[in-house]
Amino acid sequence: MSVWNQLQKNSFLESSARQRANGIVDNGTFTELLGPRDRVSSPHLPVLGEAVAFDDGIVTGVGLIGKRPVFVISQEGRFIGGSVGEVGGGKMVATLKLAIGAYHQIKEKYPTSYQGRLPAVVISFETGGVRLHESNAGLLAHAEVMDQFQDARGKIPVISLIGSKIGCFGGMGFVGAATDLIIMSEQGRLGLTGPEVIEQEMGKDEFDASNKALVYRTTGGKHKYIMQDCNFLVEDSIEAFRTQLAEVLTLSMESIEEMRRVGSQKLVEEQLELVKLAVELDPRDSMDVWKYFGNESPAILPELSLTDFLKQAKRRVRKVEGGSVNG
Amino acid sequence: MALQQLKFEFKVNNPIEFSHEWRHHGVVGSGDLEILMEKKDLGGAVQVQVVTPVVGFDKVWGMVLEKIVKENRLGNISIEINDNNATPIVVSMRLRQALAEAAKDVRKEV
Repeated sequence: MSVWNQLQKNSFLESSARQRANGIVDNGTFTELLGPRDRVSSPHLPVLGEAVAFDDGIVTGVGLIGKRPVFVISQEGRFIGGSVGEVGGGKMVATLKLAIGAYHQIKEKYPTSYQGRLPAVVISFETGGVRLHESNAGLLAHAEVMDQFQDARGKIPVISLIGSKIGCFGGMGFVGAATDLIIMSEQGRLGLTGPEVIEQEMGKDEFDASNKALVYRTTGGKHKYIMQDCNFLVEDSIEAFRTQLAEVLTLSMESIEEMRRVGSQKLVEEQLELVKLAVELDPRDSMDVWKYFGNESPAILPELSLTDFLKQAKRRVRKVEGGSVNG
Repeated sequence: MALQQLKFEFKVNNPIEFSHEWRHHGVVGSGDLEILMEKKDLGGAVQVQVVTPVVGFDKVWGMVLEKIVKENRLGNISIEINDNNATPIVVSMRLRQALAEAAKDVRKEV
């Protein structure tokens, strides 16, 4: 069995960034750009006496899904918590720029048959956001990535994959939310302030970070699916993520645009309504919210298998037209 | 307390040629390391460069690396290691894994 075939069955959660990048595209098509052999590591960490990595903790490259070039950004959580610094951030931005460049080139080369060949960008998040050792450069990288999202919008899909151990938190939580659509696994977590940070700042009474069930009810894939913060929920395997990704790539840019959560006046209004609801409902636990959205016995939802959960769970109804186009 | 850069060179009799142009293995996690191996004409020698935050363990690094080089009769290869406080046993385990994986892939290619 080839390495790629083995990767497909691998847990997405337990795989390395490089394994995810290789496995998410078609067999043998992944070419890493600025890989370890290029030795582009952080210029800031050595001065601080901190360990460096040849890829600065972010794997970037391009592969194929069918005829479509898929530009991959894959963060490695084991290297300084997947934090984004100057080099890693620069690699993210450059990958997005390459994808947008490829879009223009392909459109020019195949004026009538470009539809099925257009590139896409996939970001596998495993990060707590800015690398504090290089704070300004890291913050700037966040802004520049978001800037590229705007340039890519309506041209090529930018898709988030969240199924890693660390999840997608901090500034990168904003970045993830600003992509066109999000594919998550139950083990994936998405949020702004991570559980430990909330506990540290607000105390254990406010949020007990050692309570795993609470953490997953608040930031995990199932909750995000009910809330429509993520668009698709899949099993924890590289294959499951790849299958869902390939399916998404068959959609038109119009339907992909409809999956967004942020980025228009209407969407802002919809989000503000949610804030209003949170104040009115004053929920004590995510389960109160699940109940509000029509789940009669919310307590059983975390226990359900993915198949049963997808059958039974009632999701928040999207207000914006087309906003509920979901798998 | 900048990062330490350690350099070593070893030479064994009748070294076995490394069968890849280059190989990469591992992740610089906490207590872990990554290894970049490249085939290089070094007149049969092995060059190792270690980048590590740990101070004062040069001799231990030398011993661990020498053992691996001798065991596997390595030659004409440059090894670069980015270390993040890995213990000597983790260092030798990762090096063995890297070499074993490289050997496994050769068998597959044949």
